[in-house]
Order: sequence, then structure tokens, then C-alpha cells
Amino acid sequence: MMGLERALIELLLRFVTHDALNAFLRSPQHTASLVGCLIAICGALLGTFLLLRGLSLTSDAISHTVLLGIVLAFMLMTGAGLEGDTSSPWLIVGAAAAGVGTVVLTETLHRSGLVRQDAALGLAFPLLFAIAVILVSRFVDDVHLDDDAVLVGEIGLAWANTNSHCFEHCESLRITPEHPAAQQMRQCVNCRELTISPRDERAEFREVCGNCGVYTPAQAWSAGLLDEAPTLVFFPKSITVMLVLTALTVGFVAVFYKELKLTTFDAALAKSLGFRPAALTYALMILVSLVAVGAFDAVGSILVIAFFIIPPAAAYLLTDRLSGMLLLSPVIGGAGAFFGYDLARGWLFGMLPVAEGIAALNAIFGLQLREAWDSSISASVVLTMFVLFVLVWILSPRYGLVVSAVRRANSRRRFDDQVVLAHIHNHQGTPSHAIELRAATLHQHFRWTPQKMNRVLMRLRALGFVSQEAGSAILTQRGDAHVHAFRKQLLVAHNIPDIDPTQP
Amino acid sequence: MPEPAELALVIDDLTVAYDQKPAIWDIDLEVPQGALMAIVGPNGAGKSTLIKAALNLIPRAAGSVLFHGKPYEAARHLVGYVPQRGSVDWDFPTSVLDVVTMGLYGKLGWLRRPGRRERAQALAALEQVGLLDYAGRQISQLSGGQQQRTFLARALVQDAQIYFMDEPFAAVDATTEAAIVNILRELNKRGRTVLVVHHDLQTVPEYFDWLTLLNVEVVASGPTCQVFTLDNLQKTYGGRVTSLHGGQVLAAGG
Amino acid sequence: MAERRVWAMIAALLALGVLLVPLSQALFGLRLTYTVRVVALGGSLLGALSGAVGCFAVLRRESLLGDALSHAALPGVAVGFLLAGRQLGALLVGAGIASWLGLRLVAAILRTTRIKQDAALGIVLASFFAAGIALLTYIQSLPEASQAGLDSFIFGQAAAIIASDIALLGAVGLAVTLVLALLWKEFKLITFDAEFASAGGLRGGLIDALLSTLIVVTIVLGLQLAGVILMVGMLIAPAIAARQWTHSLEQMVVLAAALGAFAGGSGAVISALDSDIPTGPMIIVVAFALVALSITLAPGRGVLWRQLRQRENRRHFRSRRLETGA
Ligand SMILES: Nc1ncnc2c1ncn2[C@@H]1O[C@H](COP(=O)(O)OP(=O)(O)OP(=O)(O)O)[C@@H](O)[C@H]1O
Ligand SMILES: [Mg+2]
Ligand SMILES: [Zn+2]
Ligand SMILES: [Zn+2]
Ligand SMILES: [Zn+2]
Repeated sequence: MMGLERALIELLLRFVTHDALNAFLRSPQHTASLVGCLIAICGALLGTFLLLRGLSLTSDAISHTVLLGIVLAFMLMTGAGLEGDTSSPWLIVGAAAAGVGTVVLTETLHRSGLVRQDAALGLAFPLLFAIAVILVSRFVDDVHLDDDAVLVGEIGLAWANTNSHCFEHCESLRITPEHPAAQQMRQCVNCRELTISPRDERAEFREVCGNCGVYTPAQAWSAGLLDEAPTLVFFPKSITVMLVLTALTVGFVAVFYKELKLTTFDAALAKSLGFRPAALTYALMILVSLVAVGAFDAVGSILVIAFFIIPPAAAYLLTDRLSGMLLLSPVIGGAGAFFGYDLARGWLFGMLPVAEGIAALNAIFGLQLREAWDSSISASVVLTMFVLFVLVWILSPRYGLVVSAVRRANSRRRFDDQVVLAHIHNHQGTPSHAIELRAATLHQHFRWTPQKMNRVLMRLRALGFVSQEAGSAILTQRGDAHVHAFRKQLLVAHNIPDIDPTQP
Repeated sequence: MPEPAELALVIDDLTVAYDQKPAIWDIDLEVPQGALMAIVGPNGAGKSTLIKAALNLIPRAAGSVLFHGKPYEAARHLVGYVPQRGSVDWDFPTSVLDVVTMGLYGKLGWLRRPGRRERAQALAALEQVGLLDYAGRQISQLSGGQQQRTFLARALVQDAQIYFMDEPFAAVDATTEAAIVNILRELNKRGRTVLVVHHDLQTVPEYFDWLTLLNVEVVASGPTCQVFTLDNLQKTYGGRVTSLHGGQVLAAGG
Repeated sequence: MAERRVWAMIAALLALGVLLVPLSQALFGLRLTYTVRVVALGGSLLGALSGAVGCFAVLRRESLLGDALSHAALPGVAVGFLLAGRQLGALLVGAGIASWLGLRLVAAILRTTRIKQDAALGIVLASFFAAGIALLTYIQSLPEASQAGLDSFIFGQAAAIIASDIALLGAVGLAVTLVLALLWKEFKLITFDAEFASAGGLRGGLIDALLSTLIVVTIVLGLQLAGVILMVGMLIAPAIAARQWTHSLEQMVVLAAALGAFAGGSGAVISALDSDIPTGPMIIVVAFALVALSITLAPGRGVLWRQLRQRENRRHFRSRRLETGA
């Protein structure tokens, strides 16, 4: 992990100075946005396949139960006297196991034939989450696992948890009593044991070195022991973790693209071709668990599901192609992560101030709410994604509400025309002609209002499809041709020969 | 032409669309009282759609349906319905008797609960379909044919004038089919009108005296002996019917 | 026969429930304080209510709807607090409205897009929950807020239950029982065969809305005790356990209520054993234990039962083959 990080920084240092890099990373906003974007990319890629397989809520279950994996690993580690840290490999193993465990538990319940799939999921994860909560409050006293961390994470603090890397003047410094910088001082030998004050005349003294020891370059520099500043880069751990996970996810999707596509759209065919849909599903679930645990520090264990579900759902309304979804959903998720930070500080998309909204509420309802808005970053990221989803839902050029409404109005009009034309065509020249086609009573047959029928007839007359003859509506030649054209269209779909009942 | 009063069902210019795509299109249909009618057509022809639209289960784009001269809202008690078997969850925790009693809920109205009389009626209907021994059984422990007969019994207790049955013969064995046919004939004898979605062309002339051929539009409708011709069937099935067994049908048509 | 067995089981559970407090005092020497008894009573009332209502959620294949709706209640709690301060009534009304809005949003997404149910539930769950968290963070930053203890709605805080909450639970429970009893046959028909119901002239939409309302009300009442995350377990676990024992809806609902009450009460008592065991999660664990027991042991349906019968069949078959072979 450290080696990777170092290689990456070396690469970056070719383009920027280390001061600039440090300044960039020390900004909470930059690190938070970067980590958020990386989580969004992983979530969106994996979530796309979950969505298309109807497994979206499995990510919900896994993100809850990953907590159990983390807690168990934590307990084992503290039991073994190891330092608990969320980037430790044991936690990752625990999380992956919990994720797979959820899937196995659900499958077992479902396979017993006694519990439906959705109910099995709804049973499995409250149970595992409940156990995790009990364990946390019963056995784990680490501040790191308190309620807030579980819920929302601390993406705003991601910048502060860093590894330091040194690139120049990196001698670590050992100060011995002989070193010129060593601070020698007198210490009373027996005052601690005997509770004798150093002022007491019985006190014995010896020379000790106050600052002896081994200093990393960073420590040595900040203690003022170096003349020349070392070149140090402080790199947030979350970024590294998420970079690795992103690489894994992208790699997985790239390598298994064909298999994933096939098993997603036709599991049966995939199986018959010798692919292993179940194995791929488990691989997918393991990756989901890993991303959930990687994101645990940053966004907690519940909000992470938004990263898996909302961006792919939005992309699903924009495109019909799998490749399109895989490109669009990370962009949507990334945009959410990027603008989410602004929202937490009170600016929706960097333009609309939340404070004014609160002020308006205060004015309308006579409340006295504080107008300054400062809120959870991860929740704001999710809200931004949701706003993006709603925008797509309304405006998508393919499936948006606006477009569908326009399209529906158009086809409604065309459809009404066709209903009337077909009716005239069916009855023209039959014995019931006079009853069925009398223009004045035509609306009654359809149970339409006279206004609606008038509108349609007027349109049809303007189009030259229909004329009136002895109070009855009849088709013109153009109208007849038109009926035959759209009848053909419809009936071909139904395998009906176009036999005109009005012809002998 | 028969007098309107004798018509059990009049459908006028009925169009139903899913997403602006017509599933049935300008249907005109008149069914005389006491007819035992088959509705025949290929998969996706709109047979189920026709029934559901008649029963107000899905919205109509245009047209009207009258039962004995009355619209559905006023004629609800006249209508009995046997849905396609696959439309419910057969693992639902309830017994055969319970399901049959559900046929009486409409008559009971709000708040009233089924009592001894309803139980007796349900048992009678079960006896009629030959499932009396199964009254207490959980419905998941029924075979497909028994499930079908349960639904039939539920419709029988409705004591309706017009019955709509969606594929009651689907996936049942010869004995069950015969039993169901007997019940249909019994209903017919009591002057009830019965509309049955049916898929087996071979048995149409034997079972039904009235026939509607449907494929989005009504291809033909009338007494079976007049309608059941190779020509009409080819119009309905798009030339996929090449011959009917026995020359007798062709003769009737010609 | 089978019917009587289930009724006996229900009676036994109820007796056990009534005796729970004195028994655990006598057997384990537990000293149950007044608070614990109130919590246990609240837990069993909620368990009974959610068990009964949950049956319909499970049978209508809407198990996970409960999950989405309970998460969706959170912003309502926060808005209720912002508007009216810490009054339980306002918080619950807010929760109910938010949860109902979540329900409408799920329906709207399903109606107007091609997104499937699971994703629609996920979208509503995540975004409403995020809105709730954002509002709670904002509330915590308010100077006058004494933090309000709104966090307790997330994980549930049984200890906060007081006698007036019990009265509320009891009243609502009574109302729900009344509605269920009066409209029993309508609920049953619409759950089993909605199409036949509306062909028979039942106002399907109305009954549907009523059932959803019952579920929302139950969730809202349960938030304080179980919290938004675990409420779905309260809702569906007793129903699934009860389903294994009986083939009649009447019995299933009553048994689910009894099992839920048992899980609620005993979970509360167990968590009183150790101050570090939270009540809500403990109730869920007990409820799941009941599910596991039911799935393995229930006569006729249970896994163990079926295995026994399979072995019996095999033995029978083998002996038959020996006979015919000889
Ligand atoms: N809910 C629906 N939404 C959209 N299209 C539908 C819906 N139900 C049916 N259709 C379409 O309407 C047409 C008629 O369907 P319908 O179920 O009425 O056919 P059917 O004659 O009963 O067929 P089958 O013999 O298979 O039962 C079909 O093309 C079908 O795809
Ligand atoms: Mg059909
Ligand atoms: Zn007409
Ligand atoms: Zn023509
Ligand atoms: Zn017409």
C-alpha cells in the first residue's frame, strides 16, 4: 500500500511541486470531493449491474451487514492486541465475509422455499445489523465506531488522516547524548519511587538526554533539528484506499465485461454457454462489500447505498445501452460528490444559496431558524445525487416526464384519429351504416364528449381523410388509403392478413 | 336481428390500448342470452384484454359495454368472473372453502361477514365441481385442475347471469375438462350466458354453440356452425391453420 | 386438529407473555424496575401491532416497502422538530407525512419510469434518509437545541418510552384491531386476488390506501423503540414465523401478533440483563430466533419435518423395491 502510494506521488511530483500538492490535499474540500468521486465511480459501475439484475437492494443489505464484519474483525484484532484501523487487511477480509454471508443467508432462506426473496432480504439484514449494534454497544469502546461514524462517516476529515512520504533530505535522525543538538538535563532518580521531591536534600540526580531517540524526517523538521527542509508529502489514506478499489472495480468490469453483460441479460443462455453466473454474482457481491467497507470511513454504512443505486437509476433513464450506462452513471455520481460539498456548506450546485430558502421559510411560517446552513457532507452528496436524478427524471430526452408527456399527447391525438377512422372504415357500406356513422351521434358510440368528437372530426376533415354525406361521416379515398396503411402496421405485428371486410 | 332485450351482452365500438397501442380495436359484439360462447384467437389477440375491459378492470379508450341493457356499475351482480389461474399467489394461507366464499363477498357488502348460509352455499358449489372433500384443504396443496375448479366454484356461488371465464381449460386433464364442460352445460341449461376464452380449436364445435373469432378486431361472430370455417380461422390465425380435422367443418362453412 | 394446535400455541404464547415479568423475576432473580416493565409492555404492544399488520405487507410482496418507509420517516421527524419543538405528537405526525410522501414517490417512479421496484425503493430510502441526516446535522448546530435526542429515532431508544407512549400504542393498537376486524374480508380478498376484488365491485384503491396507512402508522409508532433501520425486521419477522405454522389467514395474523408481542417483551427483558445491550436490536434477534425455529420445526412445512418425511419415503421405497425384487 505504502509503495503504491509512493509511486503515485512520485508520478504526481513530475507535474507539480510538493508544496502545491500538499496545499491541494490539505484542503478538506479537495480531499472530500476526490474521495467522494472515487466512491461514486466504484458504486456507479457496480450498481449498474445490480440495477439491471434487480439486485439493487442487495447493496442496501450488504452495506448494513458490512458493519457486522467490521465489528467482528475489530474485536478479533483488539483481542489479538493489534491496532484497530479501517484500512487493515483484516477488516477487509471481515467485510468481504460479511457481504458474502449476507448473500448466502438470504439465498439459504429463499432456497428453503418457505420465504420469498424480498422477505428473505428483509429478514437477513436487520438481523445482522442488530447483532452488530449489540456487539458495538456491548464490547467495543472505540470512539471510531460510534453511532455517527456508522451513519454518516467523516468525509470532511479525510484530509487529516494521512501517511507522510519523504523525497529529499530524508535522513532520519538519531540523536544520541553525544549529538550536538541533544538536550542534557538533570533528573532526580528516586523521587518517583520514594515520593521525594527533587528539592529534598536526599534527592539523587543523574544526567539524562531529553530529546534523544529516532526522528522521522517529518518529526525532525518540525522539532527544528534539521537545517534543510525535507521534501514531504502528506497523502490522505482514504484516497489511496479508494484508488485501489477503483482500480479493482474498473479492472473487474473491463476484464469481465462480456461475461457480465451476458449473465446480466440472459443468465440461462450464459449458463448453457459454460459461463458461471453464480460465480460472477459472488464476485460482484464481494466487490460491493469491499467498496462498502472502503467507503465506511468516509460516508458511513447507510448512505453508501445511494452511491450504488441513484446514479445508475438516473443513467438508466438516459440511455438504453449498457456501455452508455457504464459511462454516464460514474459521471452522475461524480457530479453529485463534487457538488455535494457545496451543498453541505450552503450552496446548491454552487449557485443557489440554501440560506435564502431558510429565510423564506422563516418569513412564511414565522419561524426563527438559523439561516447559516452547515451540514453533513456525505448526506449532502446523496441529496445532490437525488436532485440530479430528479432533473434527469423530468428532463431526460429519452424517458423524461416532459418528453413522455409531449409524446403521449401526440400519440393520443394520432390514436384518437385512428380509432375514428377505423370505426368509419368498419361500418361504411354495412347495414348498420346509418346508425353507426351519423355525424351528430358519432360521439355516443365511443362514450366521448361531443366536443372531443368534434375536435377529432374537424382535424380529420382538415387532413382530407373524412367527408360528410347525408349526415354521415364517410372516408375519402385518401382516408381509406391512410386506414389501410396504419392497419397494416398494426396487424403485421399481430400476424393478421390484411383482408378488408368492406370489400366483397 | 334479435330484440335488444334478449341480448345478454352488447359491446359497441370498444377500443382498448396499452400505451397508445391498441390491443383490441373497434370491437362490436352482441351475445344473445343463453349463449355458450367461445372466444378464440391466437396468443396476444386481446382475449383477456376484452374481458378485463368489459369488467372495468382496465380503462377503455373508447366504446361502451352493456350487460342486459345496463352499464357495468348497475349490472355488477349479474356478472361472474373466472380469472386466469396464474393471476394469484397459490401459497396464500387460506382454504378452498374460504376462496369459494370470496365469491359471495360482493353480495354481502361492506362490514357484513359471511355466516352459516354463505358457508352452505359455498359447500354446495364445491359439491357441484366435485371438490367437496377438499373444502378444508390449503390451496397450495391443490393440483392445477383442482385450482381451476376452485375458481369455477367461486364463480358459481356468485349466481350470476353472465359468466366470463379466462382459459378455464388451460393445463387440465381430460377428466377435469369433461367435468368443467358439464358445469358449463348445466349453467347454459339454466339460461345463463357463458363466455369462455378457449384455445383448443378441435373441441370448439363440440362444446360451444356460439363463437367469436378475435384478433385485435372481431373477425367473425355468430353461431358456431356459421362462423367456424377454415376461411375465418385463417383470417384469425393468419394462414397458420392449414386444415381442420374432419371434412365436416369445411362443409358447414361452404 | 391442526387448527386447534395453533390456537393452543397462541394461548401458550400469551400466557407466557403475561407471566414473563413475574417468571423472570422468580427464576433468574431479576429485579425488574418500573422502567423495564414499561419498556417490556411497550415492546410487546408494538410487536403485536407490527406482527399483525406485517402479515399483509409480507403477503402482498411488499416486505421491503417497510424498510424504505421507515427510513423515509426520518426527515419528517426533523422537520417536525424544527416546526414544533420536541413534542412527540409533532414528531410522529412529521414522520407519518414524510413516510407517506416516500410511498407516493415510490409509486410515481414506478408509474412514470422503467425503473423497477427494488431500485425505486432504494432511491427513496437513501435520499430521504440523507435528507433526514442533513437536517439532523443542521439541528445539532442550532444553539438552542439541546440536541433533542432525535438520534434515538435512528437506532431506537426503548428506555425513552414512558407511560403515555404506552397509552398511545394501546389506543392505536385498538383502532387497528377494530379496522382489521371490520374490514377483514375486504383486506383478505384484496390481498389474495385484487383483480377479482375489483371485478366484484370492491373499491380496490380505497382498501389499498387503508392498508398502506396501517403500515405507515405502525412504522411511525415503532420508530422510537426500534429505530428506522430495524423497524422492517419488527414488521416482517413475526409474520414469516407465523406463516410456517398455519394455513389460515386468521390464525396467521393472530399468531404473528402473539409472536411479535413475545419477541418484544422478552427482548426488552433480556436487554435489561445488561445495561449495554440495546433493546431494539435485542428484540430483532429474538424475533429472528423465532423465525429460525419456525422454519426448521413447524409441522408440515418446516425443514426438519420435510427431511424426516423424505427419509421415510426413501425407506418405504427401498423396502418396496426389495419386495418386488424378491
Ligand atoms: N399490462 C399490459 N401492458 C402492456 N401491454 C399489454 C398488457 N397486457 C397485455 N398487453 C398486450 O396486449 C396484447 C393483448 O394481450 P392479452 O393478454 O389480452 O392477449 P390474450 O389474447 O389473452 O393472449 P393469451 O392467449 O396469451 O392469453 C398483447 O400484445 C400484450 O402484449
Ligand atoms: Mg389471456
Ligand atoms: Zn356503434
Ligand atoms: Zn378499405
Ligand atoms: Zn364500430
